[in-house]
Amino acid sequence: MLRFTIRRLMSGVVLLLVVTSATFFLAHLAIGDPTAGLLGNNATPAQRAALHERLGLDRPLITQYWDWFSHAIRGDFGTSWRNFQPVSDQIALRVPVTLSVVLAAMFLAAVAGLGIGIVTGLRPDGILARVLKLASVVLFALPGFWVSLVLVMTFAVRLKWFPAVGYVPLTQSPSAWLSSITLPAVALALAAIVMIAEQLRNGFLEVSRQDFVRTLRARGLSSRRITLHVLRNASPAALTVLAVMSVGLLGGAIVVEIIFNLPGIGSLTQSASQIGDIPVLLGLTAVTVVFVVLINFLLDLVLGWINPKVREI
Amino acid sequence: MKKIWRATCAAVAAFAMAACTNSVTSTGGTTDEDIKIGTLLDVTSWDPAQADIGFDGPYLSALYDPLIALDKNSRPVPGLARSWRFSTDHLTLTMNLRTGVKFSDGEVFDAAAAVQNLRHLKDGVRSGQAYANVTAIREVDADTIALDLKKKDDALLYYMGVGRSWMASPAAIEAKTLATRPVGSGPYTYDEGKSTPGSEYVFTKKSGHWDDKTYPFGTVHVLPIADPTASFNAMLSGQLDVAYANAADIPRAKDKGWNVASDVATWVGIQFTDRTGKELKPLGDIRVRRAINHAFDGAAMLKSVGQGAGVATTQVFPAGRPAYDEALNDRYAFDMDKAKRLMAEAGYPDGFEVTMPMSSIFQPWQPSVQQTLGKLGIKVTWKNLSPADYQKNAATYPMFVAVLALDSNPAASVDGRITSRQWFNPNPSTKDFPEVDELIGKIEKADGEAQVTLIRQLNEKITDLAWQDVWYQADNTYFSVKGVKVTPITGMMFPTLRFVQRG
Repeated sequence: MLRFTIRRLMSGVVLLLVVTSATFFLAHLAIGDPTAGLLGNNATPAQRAALHERLGLDRPLITQYWDWFSHAIRGDFGTSWRNFQPVSDQIALRVPVTLSVVLAAMFLAAVAGLGIGIVTGLRPDGILARVLKLASVVLFALPGFWVSLVLVMTFAVRLKWFPAVGYVPLTQSPSAWLSSITLPAVALALAAIVMIAEQLRNGFLEVSRQDFVRTLRARGLSSRRITLHVLRNASPAALTVLAVMSVGLLGGAIVVEIIFNLPGIGSLTQSASQIGDIPVLLGLTAVTVVFVVLINFLLDLVLGWINPKVREI
Repeated sequence: MKKIWRATCAAVAAFAMAACTNSVTSTGGTTDEDIKIGTLLDVTSWDPAQADIGFDGPYLSALYDPLIALDKNSRPVPGLARSWRFSTDHLTLTMNLRTGVKFSDGEVFDAAAAVQNLRHLKDGVRSGQAYANVTAIREVDADTIALDLKKKDDALLYYMGVGRSWMASPAAIEAKTLATRPVGSGPYTYDEGKSTPGSEYVFTKKSGHWDDKTYPFGTVHVLPIADPTASFNAMLSGQLDVAYANAADIPRAKDKGWNVASDVATWVGIQFTDRTGKELKPLGDIRVRRAINHAFDGAAMLKSVGQGAGVATTQVFPAGRPAYDEALNDRYAFDMDKAKRLMAEAGYPDGFEVTMPMSSIFQPWQPSVQQTLGKLGIKVTWKNLSPADYQKNAATYPMFVAVLALDSNPAASVDGRITSRQWFNPNPSTKDFPEVDELIGKIEKADGEAQVTLIRQLNEKITDLAWQDVWYQADNTYFSVKGVKVTPITGMMFPTLRFVQRG
């Protein structure tokens, strides 16, 4: 298990290096000269040159890269070109927003998806199974932003149960925080719930038909214990889907942040892109990659724990 | 399994009840003393020298007092400057300052503070444009300052009023901390504890502010909401009392009984940067520029792309203001045959080739431009740029699609559109157009109504010369709930708090 863990960690580090390096060079190529966005439209060439010097943009790109990289590995992502505040401070303000929504969505997806998957697996011809089939078709056919808008119109505008926009930090008011993330999290989680439930249900049905289950039944084990055996064998596929969806949720969070006007990393990415704030973009990329690597790493550990064969891959 | 179900149902119910109960307190709307304002953009900077005045008005006007403010007709009115006068040669502006005002850190507002602020604003990359003609800023006595000018500047007071004379604490300027920790003498203080940067900024009213009556709301919440649908939904759900609006939602807003306030804010069309043909010979021919003007159906573009929110016009002076001339709007009536005739007369019956910049912001107009110019045989090669690069580089092309802010003050309109160097007007010289040059000279010397008459003549002249191809002037629109009234000010993309009143 230790070798397996180290191998997975190393591949995560390599991924982090590749993605952040590629982002660095691509951002410099794509964004070009950021001084227009930072100084406004009427800055003089002298003012632009002064800012170039202040930001170190007058140095060779490879020197700039090494400077960024050598600081980044020590956790220093530099300062924002927009307001010259530490990037890490800005990300620290935004990450809790996105993580609140994404983790709540993952929690909802895991609990509801696994719950529905088990129930529909046990009763494949029940009403819930039929509803699940219909929901899987409908939810995949509808665009995510449309589903979000329906939720807003129903639960925020009509019923006024939840706010239509905005985010309240957990530290300010736990109840208002919960209220502000509920609709975004549900909007993000709906498709994931259906997908996880479908995977688990299918896995459940497939495993239930296997010989070892028949043997367990013949040995007279209680249905609860048999269910647990089946669940253990059927869950890897659903867990993989959960991990894949969690990465997808991070991407979906950007759309949801716009619709619900949440000040998360999605909206920060958007504003940093508009003005060409490369240090912020690089910091956000690094944080996102770490999150993705971490999720996959945790999944690998869980799968490795559930199924020892995975460790040999 | 039944137990699991029961537990799950109970948990979900508890969660929903908690959320619903909480929502009553968190989203139950505002009290009579509060106001929640939804604007399009987050604050650019808390430092008035770095702020972009367009959308920063509601944020900065909460915290800072201006030396000079504007009234609803865009005329300068006293702020921290109680009165002012220009010298007879118009080269010195003397201001008498309000006394007894303190900044929220305890620093005193006096002549020294005003001088330090104005020097800070003049040095600012963004704010410095307003003070381009100011050569010196002097302290005359404890409550009097003087600004020396290199030439008569009729736009200076307007620029100061539109958002370029916010006064900040001298200590904060000295410490260079304004960008993140604003310290002003304004009617409100920033409540950092209740604010969520990027989502909601909360300002609490001070007691005993010298201009207390102008600010009727106890607490001001400003929410930057970039997505128009999100903003409209926030209005519908009762989370906002005022919103920067999408014109397409006006009918629904009226159905709801909200107040709808609109006024022109930008002109939309094609800016010709090369009017002499130095870079692209055909553009030096007035018949070609006029042909392009005739080729575009501005009214149709206003209806289709501009959602009908604005005024179809050929002018860059704001509709309804003194320099605007209704009669000029017929000058370039949509007439493709005439446009083709003019092209042929100019020697370009088959058109010509041109490279134009494009970015995501201007894409709504791209197909119309491509198609319309194509009908004249003008083949456009588009050069795609990022929005930031567009503003830096668009004027290096002979012509480009533009959405440019308007100013309500006639002298500022001349300065901003024609005589001063701007990103969209890198070569403000008018020497190649003697009639324009002569009029500008006269305008600079004139005052009052005589000056406005001359500016109207200038408007006619540059329209006649097809100085640019204006399709329409687009409105900015604001929705407000009953009991709250917004007065749009052309020149402010979002008005300052003094223009958000009960009513």
